[in-house]
Amino acid sequence: MIFVAVGTQFPFDRLISYVDAWVGQNHEQGVAQIAGGEYLPQHLRWERFMPATTFNQHLQAAELIISHAGMGNIITALENHTPIIVMNRQHALGEHRNDHQLDGLEWMGKLPGVYTASTQDELYALLDRRHELQAASAAPDSRRQALADFIDQAIRT
Amino acid sequence: MNAPPKLLAISSPGGHWIQLTRLCERLEDRYSIIYAMPNTLFNSAATLGGRKVYSITDVSADDKWRLIPCTLQVLYILLKERPQAILSTGAAPGAVAVWLGKLLRIRTIWVDSIANVRQISRAGRLAQKQADVFLTQWEHLSDGQSVLFKGAVL
Repeated sequence: MIFVAVGTQFPFDRLISYVDAWVGQNHEQGVAQIAGGEYLPQHLRWERFMPATTFNQHLQAAELIISHAGMGNIITALENHTPIIVMNRQHALGEHRNDHQLDGLEWMGKLPGVYTASTQDELYALLDRRHELQAASAAPDSRRQALADFIDQAIRT
Repeated sequence: MNAPPKLLAISSPGGHWIQLTRLCERLEDRYSIIYAMPNTLFNSAATLGGRKVYSITDVSADDKWRLIPCTLQVLYILLKERPQAILSTGAAPGAVAVWLGKLLRIRTIWVDSIANVRQISRAGRLAQKQADVFLTQWEHLSDGQSVLFKGAVL
């Protein structure tokens, strides 16, 4: 099962329609969280928003997550040891306030278990080899601990 | 034994909140943490994980008028809870908290979202002069003085 999620802040019709068409052509199963999108999926099951418990159930059932390039879904996918494909929103298409998702794409692609696409072709190329996509084995930890420890120290001084 | 110091952790929902809570997990044994976040339909007890979370009005660059209720709510939380420090990962509600923290002489710590790779976030720039400690999660954005790099959630 493929789980597509675009966050709660803005719609992302382009991503939803690409995945919906692919799922239709390839007879795959999928669930989409589409926010305020105008495009209504024909092949994916969909909801605009879902309570966290439902969201987590889909996340855990999914073999692959496809998402806008937002940190929430990336961190959650890493923690669930599920591979994730992210596509950046484009400011020029009115998909976000700025292009920080594009700025982030390069480093996101270096994270284990995270795959990036900025076009439909790149997305489909990844989907065609979906069974080869690897999940991260463990979330990186030492940098997070260092930051938390510094915050602790900074509060106390 | 003294009670652990109180920390107010505040952010926008979504990625900011995920980053904030992942940092706070590492601080929960050392602090009594109070949370504040704009409430949305999708937050349930599961997202919040049993944490004490004040709901505040969401504010962003697109709807500045909401600054007023948001500011009043954060002020109320600060006066009621009297935290020793404020920690935020952004965005606008965190900047509000940092400004109020400065006024009330509460120590403030900003961690700019890891999503901001090329430059400090807009809300971060608004908070930068007021925050006591200003952190980026990218070494190349640090100047070693006013913007520090000390680690990252990933």
